[in-house]
Amino acid sequence: MNLAIIVLFGVTLMYISIAERFATYLKLVALQGVLLFFLAFSELSGANDLASLIFVVAETLIFKAIAVPVLLRNIVKKMKVAKVHAKAVPAFYSLLLVLVAMGVSVVLGDMLKIGNIEKIFMITALFAVFTGLILVITHKKIFPHLVGFLVLENGVFMFSLAVGSEMPFLVNVGILLDLFASVLILGVFASRIGKRLNDPDVEDLSSLKD
Amino acid sequence: MTGYLLIILAAFFFPGIIARTKSIASGRKGPRIIQPVRDIVKLLRKGSVYSTTTSSIFRIAPTVGLACVLTAMLVIPFAGGNALISFNGDFVFFAYLLALGRFLMIIAALDTGSSFEGMGANRETLYALLVEPALFVMMGVMAMMTGCTSFTEIFKAFNTVGDYSLLLGALFACLVILIAMVENSRLPVDDPKTHLELTMVHEVMILDNSGFDLGLIHLTSSLKFGVFSMLMANMLIPPSWKIGYQFLYFGVIAVGFAVVVGLLESFRARNKMGKNPQYLLTLIAIGLLGLIVALILMQKIA
Repeated sequence: MNLAIIVLFGVTLMYISIAERFATYLKLVALQGVLLFFLAFSELSGANDLASLIFVVAETLIFKAIAVPVLLRNIVKKMKVAKVHAKAVPAFYSLLLVLVAMGVSVVLGDMLKIGNIEKIFMITALFAVFTGLILVITHKKIFPHLVGFLVLENGVFMFSLAVGSEMPFLVNVGILLDLFASVLILGVFASRIGKRLNDPDVEDLSSLKD
Repeated sequence: MTGYLLIILAAFFFPGIIARTKSIASGRKGPRIIQPVRDIVKLLRKGSVYSTTTSSIFRIAPTVGLACVLTAMLVIPFAGGNALISFNGDFVFFAYLLALGRFLMIIAALDTGSSFEGMGANRETLYALLVEPALFVMMGVMAMMTGCTSFTEIFKAFNTVGDYSLLLGALFACLVILIAMVENSRLPVDDPKTHLELTMVHEVMILDNSGFDLGLIHLTSSLKFGVFSMLMANMLIPPSWKIGYQFLYFGVIAVGFAVVVGLLESFRARNKMGKNPQYLLTLIAIGLLGLIVALILMQKIA
């Protein structure tokens, strides 16, 4: 069952690299949250640490699968742009990059000789982190950048699953805070600055003056 | 032999079921299931008209195309039995027989000297080039998992390897559907119903074919659907099942496949031409994902 979830997670990562609509990004981010919830639940339900289990459920299901997508959806509604039409590279190449990233993460994950690490999670985590980075690199709009960070964070979450049932609370809380801040900043960007700059293209930032 | 006949039987109804599904999905009553077969029979009764610019290549291409598919069908087994022909590496033989048929159609299109047909041939070549790695990754993975290199042996062993081969089977069944759609020039890569030459891929290549030759081309394309449904059935049905169930499930899979194709064609638009390479790359991506799943299942990694 875990393998099926991980495969689906991999598919979402590939899909997200070629997605073009904000609505698709939202759906995929929410789906990743749900998948991570199932994965974390099945991994951690054996452990008798109830506190970490509750934290994980709250984090994945409530935060990743519901709260962040809803927040993002509101921002997208405010921006009134449906499509990510400014890509730095064509989708063909970003998919190619993601495939290369998949290969690299398999090789890297296989090479690492650390005890007590579940390699499948390790590989998926690396793949998600790379995909997040590729999303950030290959897009010009600010919204996909944020989605890239979300994917990256999902990757880091996977890392924490890879090291077994010990949840590094502090790391997760820290990342959550960062993400929350970034979603807030994007909200500010969309609602306040967005009135000036209609289309939040990060290239426009270089032309800002005092 | 049973498999061979079943493919022909599936091919007999396949285009009709697709057409019927599409017409029901769009709120029409639609033609009878065997109408496409009747059309083919009508075409086969006619003679062919040849342009004076064409050479013998144009005349032999449809026949060779059909012969290639009929020969390729020989290596596909059914129900864990033996195929009519089986040897090591016969899946390469299968893939390249299909490719040979396509190659003949491409040079026949170029042979007409029409710029439209040249354009169609150009596109067909690109798509064939991009879809081939997906097929080979898939077959390579199955060969790796089973340790066999012929269709007969692969499908005898495939469904019994590992607990997750159903997952892999489902992944590859999706891939087979997508590959079959590209091989048969259906949506979203190509639209068989388009009337504008500039947006055609396969249709524009056969604009000059008429009568008997056109009938052969249509026949080839429905046989290809039969071939792919048999491949899918082999992947999904465990060979240990009783023969009666095998027949039943083959029927379910073939009809289901046709309905899926019909529904896909009803509810999605053709890709923009520029997006097709990207779409075809996703097929390779699915194949590679299957490879990694297989590596995990075989415990080569993790």
